Amino acid sequence: MRLAVCVKHAIDETELRIDSSGKPQVDGAVGMMSTFDKNAVEEALRLRSAISGEVVAITVGGPEARKTLKEALAMGADRGVIVSADILAIDTLRTAELLAAAITKTGPCDVVICSEGSSDTYDGQVPPMLAELLGLPYAGYARKIEVDGGSAKVERSLEDTIEVVETTLPFVASVVSEINEPRYPTLIQIMQSSKKPIEEMNGDQLVQQGTRKQSSVVSMAAQSSSRRHVMIEGSPDEAAARLVEALVKDGVL
Amino acid sequence: MEKEILPNSYKFDRGELSIKGPRKALLQHGMCQIPFPSEYGGLGLPFSVYANAIELLGTADASIALSLEIHNAVSEGIYRYGDEGQKKKFLPDLLSGKSLASFALTEPASGSDAGTMATVAERKGSEYSISGSKMFITNAGDADVYLVFAKTSKGPSCFLVESPNRGMKFGDDLKKLGMRGSRTSEVVFSDCRIPGGNLVGEEGKGADYAKEILHGARIVVAALNVGISQVAYDEALRYARQRRGFGKSISDFQLIREKIADMKTEINAGRLLYFYASSIKESGGDFSSEASQAKVFATEMSLKVCDEAIQIYGGYGYTSDEIHRHWRDARLLTIGEGTSEVLRMLIARRELARAS
Repeated sequence: MRLAVCVKHAIDETELRIDSSGKPQVDGAVGMMSTFDKNAVEEALRLRSAISGEVVAITVGGPEARKTLKEALAMGADRGVIVSADILAIDTLRTAELLAAAITKTGPCDVVICSEGSSDTYDGQVPPMLAELLGLPYAGYARKIEVDGGSAKVERSLEDTIEVVETTLPFVASVVSEINEPRYPTLIQIMQSSKKPIEEMNGDQLVQQGTRKQSSVVSMAAQSSSRRHVMIEGSPDEAAARLVEALVKDGVL
Repeated sequence: MEKEILPNSYKFDRGELSIKGPRKALLQHGMCQIPFPSEYGGLGLPFSVYANAIELLGTADASIALSLEIHNAVSEGIYRYGDEGQKKKFLPDLLSGKSLASFALTEPASGSDAGTMATVAERKGSEYSISGSKMFITNAGDADVYLVFAKTSKGPSCFLVESPNRGMKFGDDLKKLGMRGSRTSEVVFSDCRIPGGNLVGEEGKGADYAKEILHGARIVVAALNVGISQVAYDEALRYARQRRGFGKSISDFQLIREKIADMKTEINAGRLLYFYASSIKESGGDFSSEASQAKVFATEMSLKVCDEAIQIYGGYGYTSDEIHRHWRDARLLTIGEGTSEVLRMLIARRELARAS
């Protein structure tokens, strides 16, 4: 059984600085493996240990994305693939195209696992696009995956319901964080990960840039909320009545 | 560390949560394998990597870092002075976290002057019988293996005592100013029988072994105090930026800025000193003076930095154990593992000898 897991070297949003104009300072921001991708790697490893096989971790990004790939290898992935691209300049469809081509090039896969979305931009578009490009069934927002022979049963965590679907292999899944508890690699695994193979693929050569127009980010700004201070005076009874009145007026109640 | 230790650190300090679980997890993840060769289950990495790992752990929780530093000092002792049988028997379990170690040198009336120890070990047939009392012993009660120093007819000697042993009893946990997550108590030996093969190295050389083991441990203690200082500084810096006084952030005031500049400069100086001492140790040179310099500087520096952190926090610093615990944790280490006074004597003696 071969499993591919897609990981992103995302911006660590906890370290992201906002400049005085309210723009996130993306250049030079600290990167790390996208939080939910750890769940995706963990699930691939869990499936591998249940059925045995190989886990290939694939990322699209610049040289800095090697760090995330190495983390996946330290967690237990068998080998890595890095597809070179300027991750901040390409859109989600281009990312999905590059991942699909890389997965096809590495050989047939039984399960392709992504996370529900990256922890920096959280578009959540790549997994279904990837399934479409690969021509495979897609089970999104999985909170449980059971593979049995040539088919799989997937529990999907939807807003108000849990949907159980069955699919034949191969298929693409995106996982939610509740699916598992990602392992921490031990120091010896971190050291050994540097010996695992990482294949480099040139993104421009892998998939020719077509004439399709890319979607682009027009602006990016930190959420801001302004606070209004209102002092309500009077006796407790009067103040309470005025407070309720004000809340009703503002549509809070 | 960020997920399971740092958020719980104040609970370890308050005694609401035991460090046992996270300590074991860190050991199992290879924290103490770093500086030892692979044949005993180590990772064979430079000592400075280990010291740096303890610094990082010190930023998350000083008690766990202290507990593991002591644990590893014992592994270092066995590795340096133990025979092949002892290394094969004890090191793999100590390095992988299957067992925990404790270092028993200090006594109620004998500290840095190890030669005056009153604990005795007497050969009785194929065994040794140890009697006496050891004080302020970190990991006491939790540890499976104790590196115990006791006098034989040839002088101070070093032994491995495995717990449980009916001749070994523990006092109540001592109520400490800081490092409250780690257990510390008296260990009392009364006709504590151990196999003759548990003598480490040669009889009469125990004081020399203790000295050598402690030189390495002092580098690690320096690293630990740099870690404590770093976390106190980070918190104080964050607060200084956010706290407002007289209509502006207090970080805009020159006197606060002076504190920030000095704290950061001295933390980095402490860090460089322990890396410098590590580099001499790694190259096989005599690092005793540099290790002591690193420890004296870093431990005294961290008291100053943690004190300034309380000052920046003002009343909140004095009343919040989340802030003042850093000072309380740091306070131990100008005393433990060689007082600043004794280490200054050692530095001066060594430097005068080098000059002559």
